[in-house]
Amino acid sequence: MDTKEVKNTRKFKDYEFFRSPDSQYFLLPFRFHRINAQKEVLVNEVGDFLIVPAGTASRIVNREISEKEEIYHDLHANFFISTEAVPPLIDVLATRYRTKKSFLDEFTALHIFVVTLRCNHSCHYCQVSRVSENKKDFDISLENLMAGIHHMFRSPAKSITMEFQGGEPLLAFDEVKFAVETATELNKVYKKQITFVICTNSTIFTDEILDFCKQYDILISTSLDGPEFLHNANRPKTGIPSYELVIAGINKARSVLGHEKVSALMTTTSMSLDFPTEIIDAYIENGFSNIFLRPISPYGFALKNPKKNKYETDRYLDFYRKGLNYILELNNKGHFFVEDYTTILLRKILTPFPVNYVDLQSPAGLINSVIVYNYDGFVYATDESRMIAENLDFTFRLGHVKDDYKNIFYGEKAKFLSQYWSNECLAGCADCGFQNYCGADPVFHYSAQGDFEGHRPTSDFCKKNMEIISNLFELIDQNGSEFLPIFYSWINNKPRF
Amino acid sequence: MNISFDDSVIKIDVDKEIYSLTVLHKCFYWYTGKYSLDICALDSTYLITISDVTTAEEKDALIQKIRKDLIDFKTREIISIETKNIRDLLIAKAFAHEDTFEEDPPPGISDPLGFDPTSIK
Repeated sequence: MDTKEVKNTRKFKDYEFFRSPDSQYFLLPFRFHRINAQKEVLVNEVGDFLIVPAGTASRIVNREISEKEEIYHDLHANFFISTEAVPPLIDVLATRYRTKKSFLDEFTALHIFVVTLRCNHSCHYCQVSRVSENKKDFDISLENLMAGIHHMFRSPAKSITMEFQGGEPLLAFDEVKFAVETATELNKVYKKQITFVICTNSTIFTDEILDFCKQYDILISTSLDGPEFLHNANRPKTGIPSYELVIAGINKARSVLGHEKVSALMTTTSMSLDFPTEIIDAYIENGFSNIFLRPISPYGFALKNPKKNKYETDRYLDFYRKGLNYILELNNKGHFFVEDYTTILLRKILTPFPVNYVDLQSPAGLINSVIVYNYDGFVYATDESRMIAENLDFTFRLGHVKDDYKNIFYGEKAKFLSQYWSNECLAGCADCGFQNYCGADPVFHYSAQGDFEGHRPTSDFCKKNMEIISNLFELIDQNGSEFLPIFYSWINNKPRF
Repeated sequence: MNISFDDSVIKIDVDKEIYSLTVLHKCFYWYTGKYSLDICALDSTYLITISDVTTAEEKDALIQKIRKDLIDFKTREIISIETKNIRDLLIAKAFAHEDTFEEDPPPGISDPLGFDPTSIK
């Protein structure tokens, strides 16, 4: 017998002394998804990922990963496996899990007030049944507005957003003014951080309106669908064409409020699908440094014009990919320009923090993050919910603004919807490798499939997100050194150069 | 696993000892968008019938994909079973300080010794 082996001293032991003899390890919760024939991505319970050769998940489970392999240490360091049944750092992991779900702490932070249905445009993709400019019956009453503001202040969120929508909300400027002034006055007591946003087509800015916006630090969110021919085709109006007025409005608002206070959103119609680069160029020409390549929402009145507003998800994905590749090219050439939807996903993939984007949350954003006070006094779970209601389907109506706060936010309807708002519990999502980055959207699935839970194999929501997320992992895997610096510059909203 | 193909229908016999019904349901759920499916329990196997397979090429590609998917979903089942307790512990720890359970005080006055304290004068 070798006496050296049995002699027990207090000297420091080398690594081999502590190594478990047969590379046994315990599994920690994780999911995986094959991104192509060669690679799969492993994602742990807090959203950390590893891109590994296909078949690695199976090897992990079959305890075929040896300590001598580099991947063993990656798996161990990233909480995919543990040498102990309960990892010593489980509290760290629990804190990270809690951080990912910390958007729940704030509860309803976005309060949308639909102050009027009146509008001066007649966009074919508009989801609501807009009415002509002079029908004041479609404005919210001050009484209902006041009741909505009181609900808003009941929210536990320290930071809240008060967003005005329509129709065209500035056609009911008196109501907007009343709401902003009242909320500001009441906030002397509640002391919340309030962000005011007006979603406007920017065609009716007056000096009075913009001075008011400046006084209360109001953000402007406008609609710009791309170059002139496309914007005017998507957003027709009588009299002077929309594009000319919108660009003039954007410039006027910027000159009074500051460049960064004005943002724009585009909607992808069937016609837009052929012009991804032209749309991006139009945004750049008009001084924007970001774009949200946003598909059309299959809700309400938008469905009444399927030729212009309905298209296959594959066509949208092709449009998105062309647009993203063009934007990546621009960034590679040193022009900082951001695609917003990609950035939302990247923030979920590459940072430990949650993202307050209501369409990609689990539990879903409805009620948990957003609530809508409609012009008629009824309260809806999301903006899309009130669009469905325009077709006389009141499934997502939570009550009337004069109802008790608890009955609206914690009532029977809210409890019913809660059955379908966590993707951890939905068929197809429960085992999905991308569960951490995606969300549950019962309103979308109810509208598109007539089913709150949704059928994932035929869901456009699922197909779109699976393809986009998978594409991002492929980009990171194939050329991470080129794309990751760009992606981080988007997440941090800071140009690289 | 025995596989047969006849008249646009694929029939797959899967050993019950190897694949659970849960794995089969989770795996073949993803095929329900395109195909008509049936899962039937026999003595020692499950028989999966997939209809509407139009060409031999489609059949070959489908079978190859099913083989991969079955292994993937079996792997997911093992992970899920092995990590259930640690996942529960993790989530419980994550939200432990949010435990705001409040028990209402018992109604009226009672006494564990059995006499009615309200009768004491």
